[in-house]
Amino acid sequence: MRSPIRIVFEQRNETAKHLSVLVPLLSVVAALVAGALFLLATGYSPIETYSNMLSDGFTSSRGMTDTLGLSTVLICTGISAAFAFQMNLYNIGGEGQLYLGMIGGAWAGLALGDQLPTFVMIPVVLLVGSLAGASWILLPAFVRSRLGTSEIVTTLLLTYIAASLVKHFVYTPGSFFVTKNSAFPQGRLVPDSASLSGIGDTSLYPTFFLVILIALALFWVVKKTEYGYRIQVISDSPRAAHYAGINANRTTMSVMLISGALSGLGGAVLIVGPFGRLDPGIILLGYGYAGIVIAALARNNFSAIIVSGILFAGLRSGGDKLQISTDTPIHIGVMLQGAILLFALGGEAFRRYHIHAVRTERATQ
Amino acid sequence: MTNASHEVAKGPHHASGAAPSALSAYSLVKRFPGVLANNSVDFDVLPGEVHTLLGENGAGKSTLAAMLCGLYQPDSGHITRNGERIALSSPRAGLQHGIAMVHQHFRLVERFTVAENVILGSRDLSYKLNRSELEDKVAAVAESYGLPIDPGATVADLSVGQRQRVEIVKALYQGAEILLLDEPTAVLVPAEVEKLFENVHAMTQAGKSIVFISHKLGEVVEISDRVTVLRNGRVTGHVSGRGTTDTKELARLMVGRDIELTTQRASHATGHEILQIRDLSLTVGGVSVLSDISFNVHAGEMVGIAGVAGNGQRELADTIAGLISPTSGSIAISGSMTTDRGPIHARELGLAYVPEDRLGMGLVPSMSILDNLLLTRDRRVVVDRTTVRPEATRLIEQFEIKANGPDHMARKLSGGNAQKVLLARELSGGRTATKLLVVCSPTRGLDVGAIETVRALLDDARSAGQAILLISEDLDEVMSLSDRIFVLYRGSVVHETPGESAELATVGAAMAGLTPEDKS
Repeated sequence: MRSPIRIVFEQRNETAKHLSVLVPLLSVVAALVAGALFLLATGYSPIETYSNMLSDGFTSSRGMTDTLGLSTVLICTGISAAFAFQMNLYNIGGEGQLYLGMIGGAWAGLALGDQLPTFVMIPVVLLVGSLAGASWILLPAFVRSRLGTSEIVTTLLLTYIAASLVKHFVYTPGSFFVTKNSAFPQGRLVPDSASLSGIGDTSLYPTFFLVILIALALFWVVKKTEYGYRIQVISDSPRAAHYAGINANRTTMSVMLISGALSGLGGAVLIVGPFGRLDPGIILLGYGYAGIVIAALARNNFSAIIVSGILFAGLRSGGDKLQISTDTPIHIGVMLQGAILLFALGGEAFRRYHIHAVRTERATQ
Repeated sequence: MTNASHEVAKGPHHASGAAPSALSAYSLVKRFPGVLANNSVDFDVLPGEVHTLLGENGAGKSTLAAMLCGLYQPDSGHITRNGERIALSSPRAGLQHGIAMVHQHFRLVERFTVAENVILGSRDLSYKLNRSELEDKVAAVAESYGLPIDPGATVADLSVGQRQRVEIVKALYQGAEILLLDEPTAVLVPAEVEKLFENVHAMTQAGKSIVFISHKLGEVVEISDRVTVLRNGRVTGHVSGRGTTDTKELARLMVGRDIELTTQRASHATGHEILQIRDLSLTVGGVSVLSDISFNVHAGEMVGIAGVAGNGQRELADTIAGLISPTSGSIAISGSMTTDRGPIHARELGLAYVPEDRLGMGLVPSMSILDNLLLTRDRRVVVDRTTVRPEATRLIEQFEIKANGPDHMARKLSGGNAQKVLLARELSGGRTATKLLVVCSPTRGLDVGAIETVRALLDDARSAGQAILLISEDLDEVMSLSDRIFVLYRGSVVHETPGESAELATVGAAMAGLTPEDKS
């Protein structure tokens, strides 16, 4: 009689370096395969769809600049999520903080734009947007650090309020943010002094390079500074932090505020860049939520987020164009995003465990 | 298999050929990733016998016990019960063969009563529980082995010794004929150990077999009929006969070399007062944890705090280290008040603190040795690791820490090596030269070799003029190292004695809360 086969999970002593790269990569491949099955089942050609997405998202020059342009905001929300996640603070309200960044940025542009020159205005808009994003996490950060209230719930709920705020500012007649006497309620464009133009008439804006710099700076802060050291101690063992006299409350507060500010920066990037106005259309795009996936895929590593952010931007922009060029549903891109996250999380098991099948042996004979 | 008969013939070393063993293991092999935990181990236990498994941590005792009770399955080799070959696929299968393990960390539901815990896992229960009937049954089993226990009591209200009794009663109730006791004395005070040994005798009298797992030589000699010594996954010796066993020989078999755990005391006159504690009281949530504690520790002196776990030791240490503010009273280090001023201030005055909880409080598990050395030091805005690296390398060498270098992650160190990292950091001084060292259970869970090293390090620190407060549940340790001993019971100092003239019986009684008035 053949003995049954058992799947054995054996904890790895040391995670091999190549697995940290291989697992996310294979997750993407597995997601594409799953997506292909879905496309086949609904009657589309996966090969044609994917090759269209590839050229629209990455390989054509227009596709690449569109992708990098979109990645600017996604990297912002990605590093925002990762900055909080690395301390086990689950700020999932990056979406709402992004809306506030748009509101703050648009306000600054509209209110001050006529008086100040561009080289002052752009930093001001980005700064005000960041501060507005941080303000949206102030309350969750305070109750989390003082009372231990779950930031997951508070940040998520505030996102709904933020969405209502955006609608309020755009749909209220006579609002500061909208064009006066317009038949159609629409956000007012910020003056030229508060807007950048795309590099070489593409949708890639100089803010992309700023965001890359910020991501790399955060990478350095976390690895090399006392602040990053403190974050690591608190996230791993709060009791060791207490033992060493590290003030966990203050660090919690500051990490959450910075996380909020980074999402807010993402909103402001949209104001100085592609949107130029407060636009309720942002609510349907889910850039903030995408940041969570991007951070998870990069395992909260700030330099890896640059890569996963660009990858996601490509999937998104390639997917969006599919609908225009072919009749493939636009949601294939979003679906692939979800599938990648799912496979990446599942893939963690391969990183942590050595998984193999064994034939269960009876007493040796 | 061709060599099966050979293995059986070689077999475990039976005390006599006539008595069939209750449980035998033949050439058991168990491999874990990177470790050969058991390398062809033979073992057997007779009915009515106490057979001890002796070995250091990591010697393979627990792995062997886990295979004997069905928790692990051997990679090769086999197990027989009353001469018949059995396959133990799970602890439940072990139980069906009458084999039960009492784990070092109890597996009881605190909110349940004793009787409820005992019947937990039984499969022949009726849909509706008849509590009083069950309680009677449990009480009957307990009494027949001289294990008095109230079956209606809630486990949360029981002492550690009583909880252990519940675990034993549970095993007996489930029909265990062979009990594996994993380091059962580690959590007990001397009086409770005595009581446990009485129970063990009662069980062997009734024909039960006991597999006793320990690394404490004294008690092994006292309780065992036979001893099997393990080292690095191999059997290094079988020693038979109670009382005739030579502890030096056992230690050598266990460690592989001669071991000296000698009594050490301050060899020179002690200096001025380093730590001054005055009328210290602490109340947490309306419960008094420490009350009216006053004492001093001098330079070059080691003061020992003895007591059963949970009598305020941890809080006392945390308060001195500035982690907790006392409700009243004061603490001064080198004449400067540290009360209410936090851990960094205390450290700036020369405090070093080795907490009981190494990984998670004293060390950050996910960080390297290098980063852990920085934990209690001044770290500037940009952490300067390059200048600390040579020092880390030097400390690893000096303290004989088994690691791949300064980047070795703390989580991946053995218990003894983690403790050495902690001691290396605290003894080497951080913000300022160490003047006062507070150490909690410095050798708990360490093997004999590491205990020897750690005690020598503490002794060196004392000789170098540091004031040391040693807080430990290991009474032997406190008695053999301390210049003065205080006994902490329910947050108060109930007994004080010079280390040299301390009597085990008196200190033990004070730990159990018996007032030593009549003796002093």
